[in-house]
Amino acid sequence: MAGQFKYGVSLYSYTEDFGSIMTLEDGFDHAADTGATGIEILGETHVECYPEPTSQWLDRWFGLLDQHKLEPTNMCSWVDTKLRLGQQLTVEEGAAELERDLRLAHRLGFKFLRPKFGVIDAQLTPDPIWSGAVERVLDLANTFDIVICPEIHSPTPIRHPAVEGYIDFIERTGTPNFRLLIDTGIFQNRPLKGWQHEVPEGDSDHAKLINGIAVDPEEFLDIAKYVAFIQAKFHYINDDLQCENIPWDKVIPVLKRAGFDGYLSSEYEGAREPWVAIDQVRRQHVMMRRLEAEYDAAHAATAGA
Amino acid sequence: MYEYQLIQATGFRNYGPVEAREGVEVRLRLPNYRGMRLSLLDGVDVTIDGEFFSYEINKLRLHGEVYDLEAMRDATTVRWAVGDFGSVLVPKAGGLAPGIHHVKVAARTRSPYFPPHLQPLPVNGERLATIVLP
Repeated sequence: MAGQFKYGVSLYSYTEDFGSIMTLEDGFDHAADTGATGIEILGETHVECYPEPTSQWLDRWFGLLDQHKLEPTNMCSWVDTKLRLGQQLTVEEGAAELERDLRLAHRLGFKFLRPKFGVIDAQLTPDPIWSGAVERVLDLANTFDIVICPEIHSPTPIRHPAVEGYIDFIERTGTPNFRLLIDTGIFQNRPLKGWQHEVPEGDSDHAKLINGIAVDPEEFLDIAKYVAFIQAKFHYINDDLQCENIPWDKVIPVLKRAGFDGYLSSEYEGAREPWVAIDQVRRQHVMMRRLEAEYDAAHAATAGA
Repeated sequence: MYEYQLIQATGFRNYGPVEAREGVEVRLRLPNYRGMRLSLLDGVDVTIDGEFFSYEINKLRLHGEVYDLEAMRDATTVRWAVGDFGSVLVPKAGGLAPGIHHVKVAARTRSPYFPPHLQPLPVNGERLATIVLP
């Protein structure tokens, strides 16, 4: 059947657990037991001695991938344009940050790299060095067969100058190694309950992050051909397997109609406490698989009619 | 492994010569969900039993090196990784008496992908912690 999703888990989901009650081995075990085939990590969080892991750590990494039959999907990275207070990185320094992470992602077997660029204003305009920096590493990304994909993340909607800038870049360069990553948090249309965010209450971004920016899932169709990876962000799935914040019953059918056949990589970002994420991720996988199966069954019936 | 909360119980102790303590150490886990270069930490405010000590005077010890605020801002190649402890050195002549104390910290973390007006953002911790030795 065309357009089947692949299911993955980002170890970011276990942020409140990792390092205090969860080891890397535990994280792999939890991710694999969802039936996922892919694992996503944050380079700076999950790679010991980042960005130069030891050979012992690399053995451990590849051993875990083998043991759990997981493939590396996306590695998250950062281009810290404000590494120095009051001074921006140059294009060359930005390119060096990207090159560092491309090389690490390649060593670990990843096929996608998500760089988070620093921004310059309250509209979250990425620092303009991003395009020059990316352009300088496109050949390397091509050699490694890695797609660099900046993330479209709340409070940045699909219809935003930053997204237009990324699409213009893809069109202008014709590169196959730069695409978009969509974080499904942009579709959130109901408020988070009892959720603590690092953005202070009263800040203009706080309300957006709590209430959601409610991008219409149909807008995904406008940019679908540029999307390589989806972080399946979610915050709370209740005991009836209903997500209380994101309209997955609208999102999944749109992704199917778009023919998306890449990864949905779970990214739990709910209550800031340990021991919650493990089961929340499992619930999300049941919910997403169920919605995909329902869509497929409905359309198989239509096709057969 | 870390204790879950930002302020760690172990590592809360006086420092300096026993007869003339210079201050108090407060051990923290990494105040971020990702390892970061130390220049992205713009100091740590500490309040102990209601007494405030500014990020401008507190220092940080990481991997055995001590950084004042200026040195921290220059530390663009030093990494504070997940799993590493950092100790805030709070200058308080005489140190603290053995017993339970109320400790609050605000680790001023800069995230370049946050809008400029939210940099730095305080990563907050608060707990009761115990000084064992004078």
